[in-house]
Amino acid sequence: MSFNARDTQLYREDERAGHTKLGVEEREELVKNYLPAPPARERSSSRGRKAKDKSRFGLRKVVKAQLFVFLYAFVHAIFSVYIRMRIAYRAVSVRAVSILNYHHNTPEYVRRDVGKLRRLPEHLSVILTLEDGGSGDNALQLLVNEVSEIAAWCASAGIPQLSIYEKTGLLKRYMNRTYRTVNQKLSAWFGKNQAPPQALATRGASTLQSPNRADLPRERCLTIILVSEDDGREAMVDLTKVLATMVQKEKIRPKDITTDIVDSELSDAVMREPDLLISFEPYVNLQGYPPWPIRLTEIYCEPDNQGVGYQIFLRGLRKYSQATFKIGK
Amino acid sequence: MSDLYLSNLRNWFWKSPPAAWLMKGAREVLIGTLKQGPIPRHVAFEMDGNRRFAKNHKIETIEGHHLGFEALARVLEICYKCGVKVVTVYAFSIENFNRPRPEVDGLMAMAKIKLEQLIQHGELLDRYGAGIRVLGERSMIPPDVLPFVDRAIEMTKHNKDAVLNICFPYTSRAEMTSAIRATVDEYTTPTRPSNSPFSQTRISQKIRSNQSKKASSLAPIREASPDASATDTAPKSDVDDSMSSTTALDHESPPLPSTSAKPPRLPDPEKITAETINSHTYTADCPPLDIFIRTSNVTRLSDFMLWQCHEDAHIFFLKCFWPEFDLWHFVPVLLEWQWRKKKLTEK
Repeated sequence: MSFNARDTQLYREDERAGHTKLGVEEREELVKNYLPAPPARERSSSRGRKAKDKSRFGLRKVVKAQLFVFLYAFVHAIFSVYIRMRIAYRAVSVRAVSILNYHHNTPEYVRRDVGKLRRLPEHLSVILTLEDGGSGDNALQLLVNEVSEIAAWCASAGIPQLSIYEKTGLLKRYMNRTYRTVNQKLSAWFGKNQAPPQALATRGASTLQSPNRADLPRERCLTIILVSEDDGREAMVDLTKVLATMVQKEKIRPKDITTDIVDSELSDAVMREPDLLISFEPYVNLQGYPPWPIRLTEIYCEPDNQGVGYQIFLRGLRKYSQATFKIGK
Repeated sequence: MSDLYLSNLRNWFWKSPPAAWLMKGAREVLIGTLKQGPIPRHVAFEMDGNRRFAKNHKIETIEGHHLGFEALARVLEICYKCGVKVVTVYAFSIENFNRPRPEVDGLMAMAKIKLEQLIQHGELLDRYGAGIRVLGERSMIPPDVLPFVDRAIEMTKHNKDAVLNICFPYTSRAEMTSAIRATVDEYTTPTRPSNSPFSQTRISQKIRSNQSKKASSLAPIREASPDASATDTAPKSDVDDSMSSTTALDHESPPLPSTSAKPPRLPDPEKITAETINSHTYTADCPPLDIFIRTSNVTRLSDFMLWQCHEDAHIFFLKCFWPEFDLWHFVPVLLEWQWRKKKLTEK
């Protein structure tokens, strides 16, 4: 409560003395000035007395309301100007940095940028959005290109696992196309024979894999998981259905359903907890991202930014390397 | 010596009556102004940074928590005045039990004292029309705190204007698991026989008697095909669809006397939807989460409100520590949210 200084001091002294200094009544006296008026039903008894000065209060209320309406428009006008300037400023600065620090489609440049970081995420997740409601082949093409770009950055930086969230699940329907485009991109970056093997997986479909994947250590490979809105609540609903059927058939008891069971099932079916989530939207909005895995995920979102960019990716990694982790402590 | 208690010139100025009066007026005007626009119905706060604040200002950890409580009271007042319906705060995580023993004890003692005071001033709380709910694993609340929790909930149960959800001991994964478990429970308890005047057994008996009448006339055919489903097609033409399933069922089971109990009929798990699970979460009857605020520059959700915030909530990560949180931090958040809402409706 926005106590004034004297009352705050009184309250803190009482607190330090283990709440022995003030009695119940004194404490009530202390807060009385700050309380809202009693509810209307209690006030109705004294209506007769209040009626006299009603007109004056009525006028005051009208003036006050008008003032608030005016102030609201004014504040929002100012804020609108401010936020537009902020967006413009940030867009220009990101653009400038990305010109100065371009990756030139070479893995070495990415490695150099990432080499300074203390640690890298094992599992990176990104949120991508379809342009303009996602109708037409153009939107899909853009999306697939973004996926292949990010895949190339991850492969260069040495991040072994990448999960891509796209709300509508369009990518899942074009898995072959996505797979081909990523392959092409990786060959363009690394050279035809040096390209790291990749695997493209999603819930409820067979994984697409590079043929030479088995010969190489896991760190050299890139696994991409496609995730959509259906992998969030719907996946949990599916799991609940299975569990309910099992309990009905008396294979398990409801007591057996623990966080561990749910966790292991959902991690197997959908994905494990990502270490870092990068959103390329102007503000943090999860858009239906699966709720179970994001428990301790570091979330990075460049404010006011719209669209995929290498600089955003780098900043996300930087932020992750600086973050400290302590569960519950 | 902590710099918090240094009485410098600036402090003296802000505490002087005219300045204080002006600030109070400014706050009122600001809140009144913001109320003209859309107001979030449900706001969640992750109160982070009490300990770091205490460390930075060289005061005891528990003092930091006390200041955090003052900040909470401030925030609740602001939210109440703005007209926010539900405020959810993360008071204590299940993982927090791993903290040093004295700190956990201190926090529990604080919870006890605050709830006790709350109970003493019950009628004052009614002025806010605010109800208190405690979300979380009830079984993990220490036994000496539990009665106070129950009293506080009981006393404010009738207040519906505003709701304060205190998450204590809570983690979102535990919440989701318990919601799944409750859903499974719901779908494995037999549905009660409905009180409809139509008895299923009577209907099936009637159908059976009709069939036997027909069967007697069509006896040669029936003997030719002992398969039950084949004979089913004959009565289907004059019995309506929904009933034909009943007859099919009864062909398999031997005819029972009308009074005998049937095996309990369990609801079909295929009917479970996200809504069903949602109705078993702690926040089932709250409006959807609009704003999620986490202080102290940590950009993780840390197992708080995962189920609630992954859809339409706007998530804000603020740099200030929780004890510093005030109207001046909340206003930009609210303004930006209102601005985005306006943008979204324009689209």
